[in-house]
Amino acid sequence: MRIVVCVKEVLDPDAVNNYALAGRLEIGEDGKSLTQTTIPRLMNGFDEQALEAALRLRDAGAECRIGVISVGRDPAKILKHAAALGADEIAAYPTEDPSPDYHVVAGVLAAYVRSSGGADLVLCGRQASDDDQAVVPALICEALEVPLVPNARAVERVNDGFRITRVTPDGDEVVEVSGPAVVTVSNELGEPRYPTAARKIAARRMKPEVISRQTLSLTDDDLRPRVVARRQFVPAVQGSCEFLRGETPGELSDALVERLRQDGVIA
Amino acid sequence: MTHGEAAATGRVVVCTRGQNEGTASVGAEEALSLGRKLATSLGARLCWLVLGPLPEAEVEKAGSFGVDDIDRIEDTRLDGFSPDAWVAALAAYCQQESPAIVIFSQTPEVRLVAPRLAGRLGAGVVMNTVDVSVGAEGGLEATASAYGGDTRMVYELSGAPSYVVALTTSGLPAEPVEGSPTRPKCRSIAPDLSGVDERIRVIEPARAEGPRLEEADIIVSGGRGLGSPENYKLIEQLAEVLGGLAGASRPIVDDGWVDSSRQVGLTGRITRPTLYLAAGISGASQHMAGCCAAKTIVAINRDPDAAIFRYARYGIVGDCLEILPELIRAVKQ
Ligand SMILES: Cc1cc2nc3c(=O)[nH]c(=O)nc-3n(C[C@H](O)[C@H](O)[C@H](O)COP(=O)(O)OP(=O)(O)OC[C@H]3O[C@@H](n4cnc5c(N)ncnc54)[C@H](O)[C@@H]3O)c2cc1C
Ligand SMILES: Nc1ncnc2c1ncn2[C@@H]1O[C@H](COP(=O)(O)O)[C@@H](O)[C@H]1O
Repeated sequence: MRIVVCVKEVLDPDAVNNYALAGRLEIGEDGKSLTQTTIPRLMNGFDEQALEAALRLRDAGAECRIGVISVGRDPAKILKHAAALGADEIAAYPTEDPSPDYHVVAGVLAAYVRSSGGADLVLCGRQASDDDQAVVPALICEALEVPLVPNARAVERVNDGFRITRVTPDGDEVVEVSGPAVVTVSNELGEPRYPTAARKIAARRMKPEVISRQTLSLTDDDLRPRVVARRQFVPAVQGSCEFLRGETPGELSDALVERLRQDGVIA
Repeated sequence: MTHGEAAATGRVVVCTRGQNEGTASVGAEEALSLGRKLATSLGARLCWLVLGPLPEAEVEKAGSFGVDDIDRIEDTRLDGFSPDAWVAALAAYCQQESPAIVIFSQTPEVRLVAPRLAGRLGAGVVMNTVDVSVGAEGGLEATASAYGGDTRMVYELSGAPSYVVALTTSGLPAEPVEGSPTRPKCRSIAPDLSGVDERIRVIEPARAEGPRLEEADIIVSGGRGLGSPENYKLIEQLAEVLGGLAGASRPIVDDGWVDSSRQVGLTGRITRPTLYLAAGISGASQHMAGCCAAKTIVAINRDPDAAIFRYARYGIVGDCLEILPELIRAVKQ
């Protein structure tokens, strides 16, 4: 079986949250990129869990080759991390644009899957923690004409297909597909593993295969954006919090309940 | 398919799932308000596409939101979890009607279906949209939340024949049009779905237990500040005396203190209660994405600089383990 895992490099979302809270998020001269160079760049958390899902399939005894692909400005670092975790093949599609159009990204990822021998399973994160769009996996599934199963917490091999436990608003749902599929992975999958020291050293020698428009035979139409990120801005959060006063937890609680009753919020 | 008289091209279409009598479709009014605004600026007709049943009261409501046309698709294949049928039905509709833009209100189903529809049509797509407007150059621009809400990204919608956007339920106004209501023209459309073979088989359906956070009027949520799993019972007790439901932030779900169905936030439940009380929750954007539409937010946090106080109406700075039992007492009195 061949599994392709799609991974994206993002700014550490916790660091972005902290900068936002401190009112120190700044947009660069291009009008659309965050400029804080001190924010670490790392593999999107859900993508790490997508790779973990692939590794668990292998641990469960499935004979598989795991390929990991990333489209981005400098995907080498997160691809090394993927190799250290157990990826058999790593592929990079470097781009200049800091926020390439999702249709173009999905087109590249689908073309990579096709041109590299196809895949029984394409694993993605449920969404990228920078743009939160959750559209790339859906666009890949349409391009490859396979089903999309979102928000998996567990993936098992069943005959030529997969059994997936997915997280829904009504609780867990177990579904099956009988052939290849795109599956997105949610945080409920659990902690991804850490690379061992030996694997880290071995991974240093692994070079990503660099793919490009030419190697994938992409046309102008494939690379034509449909949605163009133009500007990014930091929205104002207007705080108007009234801090309740009281000497003791009891007084503070009484004060709060009184306010909520006055406002008619509680009975 | 039934053909209406000279189907206008370039219409603005608002698509929602149909509802039975007495239940309102969440987010439909906001989506219709935005649709009306866009249709007016583009000089286009506003169409409400409903998949499933549409009670009479909703038709009247459509008029008050300035809807020109109501198109309905009813087919038993669209019941339940049937993404392949949904995408096929919507794609057939869009191929016939060529709307300029299809606007959804974002639900978990729409999260799955809308981007697939865009992929099928070759349309552009933007999710988590908070606004769509006509930009300086006359083209459409969609503003969407990013980094959980820490930032907004403005996307130019140009280069594709049509667009699909999904609106987050929080933040947009629902405004009926001024003046007399329109009398929408109703059509029934029946795309041929006989060839659709649902590729995902449900082996064990999700069993929703009890009322849903999405519909709760009062929610009490706890986070990592609770310190240990046992203390979550304080959250449940306060929720109970208030007649509300208990929610949670993601870390305590990830650590297995509570079931993931309680997670409020960007990747959990998107709620809009009257009262949201958060104890021991820092107020990260990704959490607030699931509760900032609450009418009143109350925060209990030890740290006076916690982000949650920027969203809260009332705040208590203190140890939630000391405050919660007292709050339970005060509410009971
Ligand atoms: C892509 C993505 C999606 C995400 N989706 C979600 C989501 O859907 N929902 C979600 O919740 N999070 C989500 N997160 C995580 C989010 O960014 C935060 O990490 C998370 O919400 C923090 O949870 P918390 O506030 O419980 O914990 P912390 O951030 O650790 O905050 C704990 C708070 O408790 C306070 N505290 C500590 N002790 C006490 C005490 N005794 N009394 C009172 N206060 C105390 C502290 O001052 C602190 O403010 C997501 C993150 C990413 C990157
Ligand atoms: N540039 C990229 N390179 C590789 N995979 C990507 C890229 N962008 C998105 N993906 C995959 O698609 C998922 C959803 O991303 P998005 O649609 O941007 O929210 C991510 O979690 C990745 O698995």
